[in-house]
Amino acid sequence: MVGGVSVGIISWGAYIPRFRIKVSDIARLWGFDQLLVKSLNIEEKAVANVDEDATTMGWYAARSAIMRAGINVGELGAIFLGTESKPYAVKPSATIIGDALGLPNKKLASDMEFACRAAGEGIRISIGLVSSGMIKYSLVVGSDTAQANPGDVLELTAASGAAAYIIGPKDEGVAYFEGSYTYTSDTPDFWRRDGSPYPLHGEVFTDEPAYFNHIVNSVKGLMSELGLRPEDFDYAIFHQPNGRFPLRVGAELGFPKDKILPGLVNPWIGNTYNASALLGLAKVLEEAKPGQRILLATFGSGAGSDSFSIVTTDKLLTRVNNALKVTDMLNNKIYIGYDAYAKYRKLLERI
Amino acid sequence: MSMACRKVYIASASMIRVSRYFTKSYKELAFDVVDEISRNLSNDGLNNIDYVIVSNVFSDSMLDQLDISTILTQELGLTPKPALRIETGESSGLAAIAHAYALIKSGLASSVLVIGVEKSSEYPTTAINKHLTKLLDYEVESIYDFALVNEAAFLMKEYMERYRYSREDLSSWSVKMHSNAVRNPYAQLKFTVTKEQVVNSQVLSDPLRLLDSFPIGDGAAAILLTSNDGLISNSDYVEIEAVFQATALPLNLRDNILELPATKLLFSRLVKECKVDINDAVLEIHDSYSILGYLIIEELGLVRRGKAPEVINDLNNVNLSGGLKARGHPIGATGVYQVAEIFKILTEGLGDVRRNVTWGLAHSMSALDLNSAVVVVRRCR
Repeated sequence: MVGGVSVGIISWGAYIPRFRIKVSDIARLWGFDQLLVKSLNIEEKAVANVDEDATTMGWYAARSAIMRAGINVGELGAIFLGTESKPYAVKPSATIIGDALGLPNKKLASDMEFACRAAGEGIRISIGLVSSGMIKYSLVVGSDTAQANPGDVLELTAASGAAAYIIGPKDEGVAYFEGSYTYTSDTPDFWRRDGSPYPLHGEVFTDEPAYFNHIVNSVKGLMSELGLRPEDFDYAIFHQPNGRFPLRVGAELGFPKDKILPGLVNPWIGNTYNASALLGLAKVLEEAKPGQRILLATFGSGAGSDSFSIVTTDKLLTRVNNALKVTDMLNNKIYIGYDAYAKYRKLLERI
Repeated sequence: MSMACRKVYIASASMIRVSRYFTKSYKELAFDVVDEISRNLSNDGLNNIDYVIVSNVFSDSMLDQLDISTILTQELGLTPKPALRIETGESSGLAAIAHAYALIKSGLASSVLVIGVEKSSEYPTTAINKHLTKLLDYEVESIYDFALVNEAAFLMKEYMERYRYSREDLSSWSVKMHSNAVRNPYAQLKFTVTKEQVVNSQVLSDPLRLLDSFPIGDGAAAILLTSNDGLISNSDYVEIEAVFQATALPLNLRDNILELPATKLLFSRLVKECKVDINDAVLEIHDSYSILGYLIIEELGLVRRGKAPEVINDLNNVNLSGGLKARGHPIGATGVYQVAEIFKILTEGLGDVRRNVTWGLAHSMSALDLNSAVVVVRRCR
């Protein structure tokens, strides 16, 4: 969509469940070295309650986005749900959120699957739909109650959360897209077979060949198409599987730490998968000033990365306070132990 | 020429850097090193070989491939040469060279291509460790999840208690190996570490820590052994003087666990039969865990028992590659790496590392000295 710039972000919404478990508690239970915990740079992770799932959390984030936008839901022509923890294998979950919010029947609706970047692709698809004039607004939701095999290193980071964005005409946007770029390949670094309750991963294979290779190529592709350099951006947000990778990939691309830290939310909530980078963007939008340029780079295993160059507008300040903010939710927390976590995340199999 | 007098020379050696090759199969790794050997030789050099010997440990468990030597021979365009896979656990590389040496020495072959190749990065650590554990007696040890790292930790604990060393004292080996590896272009871990980093690294099996252990990596190395001196291009060349192999009882049946019985036997033969002057030699020894580095140099007689940790800084000719600790340990390929490295150190240089000495000694063992081998080479000119 480079060239025909006409699409923007109308608003955003977020949801982080209140429960938190200390990562050091999980590590102690399974006998992980505390050095490993330290190296992940994640203090605690957000845990969804027993009655929450990708649709309820996604609904909350989407409702906040609609409240913040102040638009008529009848004008939403599409809803895309990016998730890898949808309650139904077959039957859409996007329609559940859509109907619960009162979206019209005349709309596109689908669940998208590309590990942690499905919602990122939802945004790119929405840019296409809006710029072509097919629809006026699109609602993109990233929501996950991330699963992890108990005792696997993944359990130290896999968390719950949701983020939603309304994509629409540029002149109504709190920010607009200058450009976007996607880089994908068949790189099986992390997967979950049909019927398996938990995903498997290829350890260090998720590192260089997957996360770093795809994000670096995606961001370099974007910057080269737009003629931009890291210095031109005020903020940089990368997908956040742990607290270390975003800083490392930023350094590799030439982004200093102080441009990454404002959007780094996972040290306090863990990896919320499809909501991960999008919650980082939400937090940055809450503190950014008009006229600032933001880099957003998602990543999904399997693997792919979307990157976006986003510029904020004057409308940002008029909408930022219309709904609950990420910072409010980061501070609103109740600590639980592994016992409650096991119950809420249904780790105990009952018949 | 009588058989007994046949000489066995190393005509050429090649390696790739030990690493995790996510985008290459074992065939491509092997191809890269054999291609380099082929380019080192004059026209149709590889056509002159009589035999292909492949050293590999995990092809059936990790690559779903039996008879890997035939498949590789096909892949490399070397059919109808006879092919053979050698597997004696971690010492497979030297066992393969021993077999090639025997073929040439006996007159059954005049040139043998030895390829060491291992590809473990297809699997996560838990799977690799499970396969490594199979190097022990499955019915007695492996079935109880008793692993190599646990045995090495036992030795380390006993060594610390018997000779009154602190954990930090036993970090000198890793520090030295990492510093050596920085100069080796084929090393996997090309960074230095401090004693503090070693003692603060992750515990694998107390008191043994991550930085006491070899890293997991893929590798391929090849050497061409020949009795045909027409294949030798360098003015400095290297001859295999002797090959010794020995086996030993498992750890639980040994009187003194701080002695390495098979290695001890090999080293005594070395002195008696080859008259090797250790002070005029470069050595590559099997330090899969740092404690083994200390025990091996004590077994060699380089230092009195219990004194090894105090002399590490002064070792100028041991594991110049960085050893298994830092060059890496692509299991079945490791022995071939050791001999290839010694060949380069004695001739054209391993990177910029060269030594003007007469002897080269490669020592390898499986698990804790269960099946061990020493290859002795001599520089000629």
